Amino acid sequence: MDQPATVSDRSSISRYRAGAVSAWADRHFKWLMVAPAALLMLALSVYPLLFSLWVNFVNYDFQIPGHDFVGLQNFAQVIADPLAWSSLGLTIVLSVVVVAFEFVLGLGLALAMVKMFRGRGIVMSILIIPLFISPVIVGQSWALFLQRPFGPADFLLSVLLGRPIAISWIGETPWVYIAIVVADVWQWTPFMFVILLAGLAAIPPHLYEAAELDGVSAVRTFLYITLPQLAPIILLAITFRLLDAVRLFDVIFMLTGGGPGTATYTVSFYLYQIGFQQFHLSMATAGSWLFLILLSMVITVLVRRLLRAEAA
Amino acid sequence: MTVRPRPRKSPRRLRAGFARWLVIGFFVVFVFAPLYWVIITSIKPSSDYLTVPPVWFPARPTLVHYTAALFSYRGLQGLINSLIIASASTILSTVMGAMMAYSLARFNTGGQHLAFWVLSQRFLPPVAIVLPIFLLFRSWGLYDTHVGLIIAYTFMTLPLSVWMMYAYFRQMPKSLEEAALVDGLSRWQAFRMVAAPLAAPGVAAAAVFVFIAVWTEFFFALILTSRYAFTLPTIFRAFLGFQGMQYGEACALATVSLAPSIVLGMLVQRHLVRGLTLGALRG
Repeated sequence: MDQPATVSDRSSISRYRAGAVSAWADRHFKWLMVAPAALLMLALSVYPLLFSLWVNFVNYDFQIPGHDFVGLQNFAQVIADPLAWSSLGLTIVLSVVVVAFEFVLGLGLALAMVKMFRGRGIVMSILIIPLFISPVIVGQSWALFLQRPFGPADFLLSVLLGRPIAISWIGETPWVYIAIVVADVWQWTPFMFVILLAGLAAIPPHLYEAAELDGVSAVRTFLYITLPQLAPIILLAITFRLLDAVRLFDVIFMLTGGGPGTATYTVSFYLYQIGFQQFHLSMATAGSWLFLILLSMVITVLVRRLLRAEAA
Repeated sequence: MTVRPRPRKSPRRLRAGFARWLVIGFFVVFVFAPLYWVIITSIKPSSDYLTVPPVWFPARPTLVHYTAALFSYRGLQGLINSLIIASASTILSTVMGAMMAYSLARFNTGGQHLAFWVLSQRFLPPVAIVLPIFLLFRSWGLYDTHVGLIIAYTFMTLPLSVWMMYAYFRQMPKSLEEAALVDGLSRWQAFRMVAAPLAAPGVAAAAVFVFIAVWTEFFFALILTSRYAFTLPTIFRAFLGFQGMQYGEACALATVSLAPSIVLGMLVQRHLVRGLTLGALRG
């Protein structure tokens, strides 16, 4: 980025200016500008990660005093815990399911919204509202909406289907999974929609004009023009969304509290329970490292794909 | 000017148009349903909670749940805390973020590695680092303090503010800053008096996104605060389980919390794509 002209400007100007301090500041300007943010990030991410690396291999438990070296025992504890595995399984399944729903619905919505029409601005503003709401409130709102006997969900379903419906959305499997998916899809479909809409709007119109002249059907136009043109943006949207979906915590916390029993424990919720409710800090740390390693493998694959798609 | 008769729409077009409105209509209703229920419940008298069919609009709206939520559930304290913490972290994150973004955009500081390291922070799951941060904060006396949470949120939102403004600075021409340097301004002055004011729209948009991100955050606040520096979202814990019919209070608090971030969100609607993709895409 730095062009030679700028460099020579800088040195010639600093020659004119009095004051060694400002000359020094100018010379190291680019690093001084980066320093505050970089130091804060080092302090709150690199330091904690290194610290927790140590915690992985010692006893760090509010219920057992001392910090003795325990080798791989913390990892062994996590791996031996069936709840850890079911949380991981649920996290993977839920993430894939919600992102799939959000993608399909978001794409449908983007296709519906891509043409101009009167009132489009207002509809746009309504559709993006969920993005600005705290996930805690989303969980709370859906709990209120679905929960019997207070929520109107069962009543509305009864009216729609013409027969009495009494589903305990929060308290019973499989309904509770549907409730989680609905809440997440409600909040994040707009994310997919907004990004895909921007992608659709950026497809050069002459491609569609050519297809129309050749009499290509709508389905084939979609398959052979829209999808390939949109592919890099689809990949970007799915990557971003997936990496957030695997953190799922707030909605679980408010909507189900992990229940019934431990049926809706996700990885984040499991680690929270182990670390902050049961205070097995070193076990939770080991678990979060295992999760981080798994996640970084996924990230590497996805980001590499993403970069390749952008280069193409 | 000749008036052409409107072309008759083919059945296929008509069907496509109908499908479009069905999709849009469905989503508008889907988005509104839970919000409407929450807002309406916040002004319902308690006697309307459990009726069948549900009360869609209360005959006698009331504000008692708002006073109860703000004063009996410490909602007011949470609101004030949230305002202080979100404002302070927004200022810090935007200033520090703008400085870093400018340096990355203009001088390619640290090459691609530094820029991507910043981005990677965005994808670090909070659960992986919050435990050591919790221990660190406890030993430094930052646990359950405003300052502690402000630091945590500044850190949390830096990737967002850096990358949003990075994209913005990169598309700005350098010529004005170079002219300022020739006129004898220092690098810092050229940034503060020329580049930053020119980037004001981008900086403002980034600031609003940071504010919304902090305003709606729950996980860090849940773990790093308890009795004193708690934020608005953490109060909802009080309503878990719903013993004693606190529906109205929960809904009133939800309404108080969601209104500001929605209003702010509408202000930055134009920048939404940029905000959601950290500047990777331009809307």
